Amino acid sequence: MKIHDIAFYAAGFFILGVLAAGIGLNKSVVILVTILATAVFLLLGCFTKRRQNFWLAGLSLLIIAGAFYYFNWVNHQIKNISIVFNEKIEFQGIVVGYPERGSQQKLAVELKPPYAGKVFVKTPANPRFNYGDLINFEGTIKNPAPVSYANYLAKNGIFGILEYPQAELVAENQGSFLKSKLFKLKEKILVVIQRSLASEKAAFLAGITLGERAEFSKEFEEAMSQSGTTHLVALSGYNISVIVIAMFALLNRFLKRRLTFVLTTLVIFGFVLMTGAQASVVRAAIMGFIALLAGQVGRLYSVRNAIILAAFFMILANPRVLVFDTGFQLSFLALLGIVYLLPAIQRFFYFNKSAGFLFWRENFLTTLSAQLAVAPILVLNFGNFSPVSLLANILILSVIPLTMSLGFILGAIGFVSYYFSLVFGWFINLLLSYEVFIIKFFGQLDFLQIDYFSGFLAFVYYLILIIFVFCVVFRQKGSRKLMN
Amino acid sequence: MIILFLVIFDVFVWGRVIFSKPIEDSEIYFLDVGQGDSELVILPNNVKVLIDGGPNSRLLSQLDSILKPFDRYFDLVVLSHSQTDHFNGLVDVLKRYQVGAFIFNGRNGTASSWQELIKAVEENKVPVIILAAGDKIDYLNSRFNFLLPDRNLIQSSDLNETTLVALLKTQGAKVLFTGDIGAEAENYLIQRYDLDVDVLKVAHHGSKYSSSAGFLSEILPKVAVIEVGKNSYGHPTAGVLNRLASVGAQIFRTDNDGTIKLEIKNKEINVFKAK
Repeated sequence: MKIHDIAFYAAGFFILGVLAAGIGLNKSVVILVTILATAVFLLLGCFTKRRQNFWLAGLSLLIIAGAFYYFNWVNHQIKNISIVFNEKIEFQGIVVGYPERGSQQKLAVELKPPYAGKVFVKTPANPRFNYGDLINFEGTIKNPAPVSYANYLAKNGIFGILEYPQAELVAENQGSFLKSKLFKLKEKILVVIQRSLASEKAAFLAGITLGERAEFSKEFEEAMSQSGTTHLVALSGYNISVIVIAMFALLNRFLKRRLTFVLTTLVIFGFVLMTGAQASVVRAAIMGFIALLAGQVGRLYSVRNAIILAAFFMILANPRVLVFDTGFQLSFLALLGIVYLLPAIQRFFYFNKSAGFLFWRENFLTTLSAQLAVAPILVLNFGNFSPVSLLANILILSVIPLTMSLGFILGAIGFVSYYFSLVFGWFINLLLSYEVFIIKFFGQLDFLQIDYFSGFLAFVYYLILIIFVFCVVFRQKGSRKLMN
Repeated sequence: MIILFLVIFDVFVWGRVIFSKPIEDSEIYFLDVGQGDSELVILPNNVKVLIDGGPNSRLLSQLDSILKPFDRYFDLVVLSHSQTDHFNGLVDVLKRYQVGAFIFNGRNGTASSWQELIKAVEENKVPVIILAAGDKIDYLNSRFNFLLPDRNLIQSSDLNETTLVALLKTQGAKVLFTGDIGAEAENYLIQRYDLDVDVLKVAHHGSKYSSSAGFLSEILPKVAVIEVGKNSYGHPTAGVLNRLASVGAQIFRTDNDGTIKLEIKNKEINVFKAK
């Protein structure tokens, strides 16, 4: 077995173990099933005399490792928490994330001794708190409910909720230097965008460039959800790849390859921190980094290994993301759809391989395969999935890279001259008007809504997709043999 | 590429300068910002005065739908008095628009968000002007007369009574902006001035403690606009609605009619409703 195959299966089995533990199987079940699997591979090895099966038998034991990693990680996490629930207490805490702002503020707060752990604090929109603020709170910390919400928060290491406490600022700048600088930069870019564009368009531009979502009105958020365009403002691999490609193309003209690589990596790293390290961004950044690295050391960049390694590292850093982070699931499923389902669909329907006018064919196939791959998760988690999203996405994706690039340039120009950014903003305004119109137009078409799905149906659905991909691949292999 | 870009810029900018035709009439918008006040006055040649900003950022989407995308300047932003349902929305405006000057009555607010307003004014270096009874602002043939607060009222324990009351005369029509004044300040007004107005911004969202019968029968408004949204105070009260009707005023309300737009030209007032 080759080294990259070993890495692939090792990571795969480990992730399987984390999955088993994450969905609540207990230790003995996991061990039993793993031993059975190992035995099956051993038997297969004896019968077929292929060494690969022995390798798989050995590696499958990593399922147990994955499961125990999960259990230990969770135990460790819980052991380090000391929060008093359902009792009015006074305590100090530091804001450790970028505050979500809108009609109210949502802060992730790390408690100071004698307490320990993180809680989620809701306060009125004013006075504004910033990253790194040390705040004196007085209020009652509650357990999050329902269970799904508690799991979601636990994924971020948050175990309590504090709503509208008395909050008084004690000191500023208690956080990391780098993060606070990056957040300040983000805020400055936001200000430039907000001062040059009408509020709704500013919100959309801030969404697609910086993943800032707090400013959206309820109606607009609804329209994005109905038209299947929320992913645009949820910073995904798509946004990162636009940045990576633009950066690389720009720098590569002027600088040496190695320096370009280092600078691009640094920018991506800064961008990930600045935008709050959402799962989809981290995933895309890791994969982008692997792609850059592969180009740098001259090795072939295998998408399969990049995907699984990115997943492996993220799960290693926080095993809860696999089962409890919908963003993580959507991000990886969409990518798997694009990598495996897209070529299958292309072959099955004999699609022309060229991108088409304004990339419509490419955008159509990408959207179709990504949407097919994530549809069950969307319905299970958000309660709706709309096939009109396909058309909306084709119409909108063609102009998004240009809008994003212009958006970043706008941010830069704003530091030079307000008036220049104002005129420049007018040009972006044209693109944004079109995008906002499409979102609103498709957002109001609410026919053809699919809003029911069960876990079992989702399982069957994915099974069918996998079989479809395999069939198409095998058919092609078969036809190649015939031709030989 | 860059040169091409600059040429397009140039054509665009001069195009705006040459082809934007001067606006001769005055427009007044009573913006639908929910339970709170916000009025936008556009005088000839697009001189814009924003009076109050409502309770939240809902003002922004209202402004989006009225102003052109590149129109991001207010000549004046006026705050009637420092209560959140009048100034909160202004925080967003000060952060997102260029503002020529910020005018208020000089009384600081007690709400925590007041500091945000001050911060926004300072960070964007907006000049601050404090006005009171007797001050005037002239622009072409339009004039803002500030009627209140006087020395007594500015010290009132009730912030509502500190309202910077403005009478706008434009295109031969008179519009009275009353903020949240109560009957006491209203009495002051009719004792001190000989008022008759065409349009009345009904005080305090139609509260029963404002718009007294004596006041209304003295000023005899033809058009009365109530800026009101969902609330637990019972605004606008039946009493106020009756009193307004009894002096023959045509009543408009932002909760039912949406944003209300007045077009004023040569003493003629046309009213448009959004809903």
